[in-house]
Amino acid sequence: MVQIVAPDGRVGAPPVGLAAPKRSLAGLTIGVLDNNKPNAGLLLDRVASRLAERTGAIVGFRAEKNAAIPCEDQVLDRMTKEVQVVLTGSAD
Amino acid sequence: MVAVLPPRLGEATRRVIAANAVMAGCPPELTPVVVTAVRALARPEVNLRGVNATTHPVAPLVVVHGEAVDALGFNAGLGVLGPGNRANATVGRAVRLVLLHVAGAVPGPGDASTQGGPAKYTYCIAENLPASPWEGYARSVGVHAPSAVTVHCGEAPHNFHDMDSDEPARILEKCATAMATFGVNNACISQGEFFVLLCPEHAATIAGAGWGRRDVASFLYERARRPAGDYRAMFGSLAWDPWMHAVPDDHPLPVTGSADNIRVVVTGGAGKHSSVVPSWGMTASVTLPLEG
Repeated sequence: MVQIVAPDGRVGAPPVGLAAPKRSLAGLTIGVLDNNKPNAGLLLDRVASRLAERTGAIVGFRAEKNAAIPCEDQVLDRMTKEVQVVLTGSAD
Repeated sequence: MVAVLPPRLGEATRRVIAANAVMAGCPPELTPVVVTAVRALARPEVNLRGVNATTHPVAPLVVVHGEAVDALGFNAGLGVLGPGNRANATVGRAVRLVLLHVAGAVPGPGDASTQGGPAKYTYCIAENLPASPWEGYARSVGVHAPSAVTVHCGEAPHNFHDMDSDEPARILEKCATAMATFGVNNACISQGEFFVLLCPEHAATIAGAGWGRRDVASFLYERARRPAGDYRAMFGSLAWDPWMHAVPDDHPLPVTGSADNIRVVVTGGAGKHSSVVPSWGMTASVTLPLEG
């Protein structure tokens, strides 16, 4: 009998899931997590302020991180406590 | 389960790793080397998600140490980095196939490397302990096992040659200039390691003057430098140790934050060419005992 073995393996469960999307941003606080890539902060800050203008949200805590490593725990803790929506960037 | 590998979060079981090893052409006896390398790559300090996903051409260099080198047929001598014998070529390729299939490091969705690189095809060498004047690398980092495997996520090797020096400094000055280039990630990320792959003849000359592995690292730490202001002029963002930000522009700043980041392995055959493998930066090498 010939047995075929797949080389890719099962996909494990992600350690965390994505939060449910917000129905409305009105009254919520937007956080900005700048990944420190060129112009990322400029873009994210502009998007945050435009979103706030359009939806009635406010822009709150802002932090920077290195794109290549996970965010520091204390930054995540503060984000969790102070904001309900986070804008961030991936890659360049 | 050996490891869960990002970004796909694929489950690397022994069975799945063996399937990739077969596809790479590994004889069965080489599978434990692949398993050990995969386990090492899953250690958090390696930061495999970043290694796989970055635009940088980083690839895991697998280094085999100890009794397994001869017992399993690895080439630690002439042409160690290529064109390749079966053990070096297939273990390196098996690790890459695991990263492609299980980790999902596929160009595009899982690997953003701008140009990729030949080291992403296969990248496995062995330490030439019989020709080394020093204790084995694994033992030097606290792994006291008959055989061991190191993974270092870095660039393809940068060659340096010195044909006629009879003392260490003149050889290592050339190595230092290969290290202190602005094109490598080490220049802007101080935690990055360098693996210095010394050929046996360079190592013999250096050791003949009474230098140990630590002396090589210390010398290179002192000599692989550029003025701090030159780094600042070159980069918009510098992931440096805090003290490095405080020195004046004319201070000769090392290209890595600590001499401990400079790792020395003796490998290769006759001749006077050695090489440097710079790091991706946000990663650290891991050495584990070879699994039975």
